[in-house]
Amino acid sequence: MKFLRHFITFTGKELLELCRSGRLLLLVILFTAFGVMNPAIAKLTPWLLQTMSDSLEASGITVTEVTVTAMDSWVQFFKNMPMAMLVVLVMFGGIFTSEYSKGTLIPLLAKGLGRNAVAAAKTFTMLLVWSAGYLMSYGITFFYNDYYWDNSAVQNTAFAAFGLWLFGVLLICCITFFSSFASSAIQVLLGIGAVYIALTMLCMIGTVSEYLPSYLLQSGELLTGQAQPSDYSAAVCVTAVSSVVLLLASIPMTVKRRV
Amino acid sequence: MANVLEIAGLSKRFGSKQVLTGVTLSVPENCVFGFVGRNGAGKTTTMKSIIGLLKPDGGEISVCGEKVSYGGTKTNRFIGYLPDVPEFYGYMTAREYMSLCGKIAGMNSSDAESRTDELLELVGLSGEKHRIKGYSRGMKQRLGIAQALINRPKLLICDEPTSALDPVGRREILDILKDAGKQTSVFFSTHILTDVERICDRVALLEDGKAALSGDIDEIKKKRSDTAVEVLTEIPSHAALLAEQFPSGEVRDGCFVLPNASADDAEGLMQCILAKHISVIRFERKEPDLEDMFMEVISE
Repeated sequence: MKFLRHFITFTGKELLELCRSGRLLLLVILFTAFGVMNPAIAKLTPWLLQTMSDSLEASGITVTEVTVTAMDSWVQFFKNMPMAMLVVLVMFGGIFTSEYSKGTLIPLLAKGLGRNAVAAAKTFTMLLVWSAGYLMSYGITFFYNDYYWDNSAVQNTAFAAFGLWLFGVLLICCITFFSSFASSAIQVLLGIGAVYIALTMLCMIGTVSEYLPSYLLQSGELLTGQAQPSDYSAAVCVTAVSSVVLLLASIPMTVKRRV
Repeated sequence: MANVLEIAGLSKRFGSKQVLTGVTLSVPENCVFGFVGRNGAGKTTTMKSIIGLLKPDGGEISVCGEKVSYGGTKTNRFIGYLPDVPEFYGYMTAREYMSLCGKIAGMNSSDAESRTDELLELVGLSGEKHRIKGYSRGMKQRLGIAQALINRPKLLICDEPTSALDPVGRREILDILKDAGKQTSVFFSTHILTDVERICDRVALLEDGKAALSGDIDEIKKKRSDTAVEVLTEIPSHAALLAEQFPSGEVRDGCFVLPNASADDAEGLMQCILAKHISVIRFERKEPDLEDMFMEVISE
């Protein structure tokens, strides 16, 4: 099948680009760092507070014995991963538009390369990078937490992590969507920023907030048992459906856009 | 001879600017076709429409009998395209890029490999091991031709392949195109008329959004043939003497010029020169060149 052949070929090209441009190395370092940082910060907290206790005491705060658990490390994980998400978005914001503006796609399109295959391959590459990186950070954090403390004290880590990952998937689909008409990486990122702001503002309306994808950003609450996975089912469904809709909507526009 | 490319009544407008008003032309098999026009005449617009990268406002394009549709790439399997400023992935080597193109064109890997060897040899990049980002413009242009030819297209479209090159590079590219023309039709745009005269069999001039002049170069020359005879005499007054004998001629810049001279006219003129013992520095039957013809068309 032609689409599949083009998809596989172009994905290969994207992965080669990732390696040769040095981005892959950067991403490996980034996600490893984000994985190691969570248990490291938790582990270092008592020591940090101890060293600072003199100055804290001077300002009237007394430091008593601090005990950290796997919970502290997982809380860090859910604080840090949105930052990793941001780095991924910035890195891939121009994945489509740079090819359009440089004209590198033209010789290949003139060879019969289907535009849908291009969009599919690029989206797949982004999802692959985000998923693999995310899994790596998660795995590292999980391993250290288990080693130093006990993961069983924390509830629903996998589902909570899934929620945050899914939000990343939605934003990646936004890149594909905005790239089907935007002309630069800046425009794509501004579009995503606008989506994020809109979601945050909608969140202020109490009743709808639990149906919004941005609700998944609060999935850290699952850890303490304050919330249950079922509380998130609406947000998960909405996010998954919007991701698919964004991808489908980008198809006709990508085909018709001027390159 | 079947036509590889047929364009009928192609029109395109960008904002308030009507670029093409109805281009009609056809490119037969195994021919080198020169597409001439000034900068901004719409050459690139026409070419991008042929490969489905631009949506024309009107008219029809068919490649090998199949209609071209905008955004679709079906007819592109017959076409090899070299953009005006070709851009490739700088992190690849020429060989890797050719292999990518071969895969996209659906060739099997052994065929693609042998074709790559053959074409890189043809364009003189076979010994090049570096990545494309270090290539000069001429090298990119040559790689551009190689990638365009990889799937043995029936039609090779080159957008101003020689414009930005030095004389040596230009000559090389023209030779490559001429070679390529033996196996496939070449449709190339240029504003350099000597390039057209060197390698093309057919030509079209794009002016005012239309193909103002189109067809076989020799036929065009014949049709428009102002095969004047020009005589430069040693003694200037003799030119006036000839003008008296041949009323249809005139003296121009010190030379006697007989316009639209047939072979008989030329013979008569020569006999007159002999009879009157006129000493001649130069006796020339002037072939019309494309430039004159095009200037004529443009001024019409």
